[in-house]
Amino acid sequence: MFLAWKEMRYEKLRYTLIIAMIVLISYLIFILTSLAQGLARQNTDAIKSWDIQNVILNDNANTSMTQSIITKSQLNKVQIGKKTAIVTQVPVVVRGDGNSKVSAQFVGVNSKQFIMKNLKVTEGKKPIKANEVLADSSLKQAGYQIGDEIKLNSGQTNYLISGFVNNEKLNIAPVIYGANSVAKVLKNAGPTFAASAIVSQGSKIILSKDSGLKNYSVGEFIKKLPGYSAQLTTFIFMIGFLMIISLVVVAVFLYILTMQKLENYAVLRAQGVPVGVLVRATISQSLLIVISGLIVGTALTGLTASFIPSEVPMYFSIPLLSIVAIGLVVVALLGVIIPIRVVTRVDPVTVIGG
Amino acid sequence: METVSLREINKYFGEKKNRIHVLTNVNFKAQKGELCLVLGPSGSGKSTFLTIAGGIQTPSSGEVLIDNVKLNSLREKQKEQLRLEKIGFVLQNYSLVPYLRVEEQFELAKRVKKEGNLNKADFTAVIKQLGIADLLTQYPRELSGGQRQRVAIARALYSNPDIIFADEPTAALDSQRVVEVGKLFKDLAHNHNKSVIIVTHDLRLKEYADRIYEIMDGNLKQV
Repeated sequence: MFLAWKEMRYEKLRYTLIIAMIVLISYLIFILTSLAQGLARQNTDAIKSWDIQNVILNDNANTSMTQSIITKSQLNKVQIGKKTAIVTQVPVVVRGDGNSKVSAQFVGVNSKQFIMKNLKVTEGKKPIKANEVLADSSLKQAGYQIGDEIKLNSGQTNYLISGFVNNEKLNIAPVIYGANSVAKVLKNAGPTFAASAIVSQGSKIILSKDSGLKNYSVGEFIKKLPGYSAQLTTFIFMIGFLMIISLVVVAVFLYILTMQKLENYAVLRAQGVPVGVLVRATISQSLLIVISGLIVGTALTGLTASFIPSEVPMYFSIPLLSIVAIGLVVVALLGVIIPIRVVTRVDPVTVIGG
Repeated sequence: METVSLREINKYFGEKKNRIHVLTNVNFKAQKGELCLVLGPSGSGKSTFLTIAGGIQTPSSGEVLIDNVKLNSLREKQKEQLRLEKIGFVLQNYSLVPYLRVEEQFELAKRVKKEGNLNKADFTAVIKQLGIADLLTQYPRELSGGQRQRVAIARALYSNPDIIFADEPTAALDSQRVVEVGKLFKDLAHNHNKSVIIVTHDLRLKEYADRIYEIMDGNLKQV
């Protein structure tokens, strides 16, 4: 640490520039991770809040809840218990007097089943009548209030906002909970339509082969949400590449710096300074660079978090960001492998010439 | 008592037709309390002699003993430890770590070798004698060539080694400093019972030597 710190103090500009690169990389990684996390949550917040294990959809729905149609006769063949609920998902546009239009997902549920029962209302109350709805609190940011009457899609029926719930989003849109009967109307479904899906908190529901339904684990279902996997994979790739870039930055810079110090190291080796001291100095330097970069990167991320508009779907998960930071520290340790090989091969003879 | 002994040392570089015989049947010994001067022009094999005597390079044949310990029988780590404990090097180039202040050059030595270094009084005396007491907070780039060389000498002495190898220690010094350095090395040998071995082409150091060797085309002989 002694040699590493003294050198960084002496070569302030050089090391400030290297640290600045790590700051930018770590900041970008943190922001991308938060964005990925935010988008993932906005895709699945509602599903996660239901705390379900399985989803039953129409066999031909290609794992899409909005495309799935479960008929009354199909529903009758499924045993509906306390841990089972029906759901109908309909994409809607919310309109209200004086407020901007908001794209949302109408989720029709049975008020006696666990989804509606378990929802935690943050303001107002749960719907009692069929024309009452419970909305995600992001609608408040668009100007909607409790007691406001809203229209859905091009329909002329008024629905009353009875309350708000936090973090209820599906397919990156706020969820509006209402009666399953309303969802049927919004979906323009025929008389045989019962629901889009049956969700279950318990173990897998056994379906007969000819039911025309298919059981998915919640993990499978989430993976196949439209755009979800593509989005997440893109972010994972970007974060991965940034990790590789930081690995290359650390490795290349430390390699160049080590090459420039070989004569000094050779003198120290001649004087009997153990190679371990020089190896430790190289590792310390790498860690100092990355940790300094991470500290500033974290501060910038914190600053960004406090200023970022709420419309930007970012979620700053400290445990996840800590894992990413640890990943960068590991990358820093990998980056010293080549410089360390150079250090261990320093030949003191090279500096004694004449 | 013999501190450094070289017996029938040969050193070759290269193979077959390209083989160069750098040292030929070199025999050398240095005693405690003695200043030995190895004089020779550039390319005579001085540096190879120094690296072999100092345990940095192994000879092609022959035997090197430091304090009666055969270097051939030691592993690299043991040689490293021996150099750290018993030998101080004063090298011509790159001797100082550029990003350490003068005082930190000594701190580094202290961190590596925690015990057996000069005590404060002796260290103060050495830096005063070398005229570097006022330079402790300076970086090497802020020093003249002569000042750098004197700091390098002080650093080699800081770990209080029994044997001091110096490679052209007066190369960058004016005549007055040569006298001071010559006296210092002589004082170290005579009054502090060290073995001082200097390889140089600076004839001005001759008057401080107890034993003088000349090296020419890899052949060493005592004058």
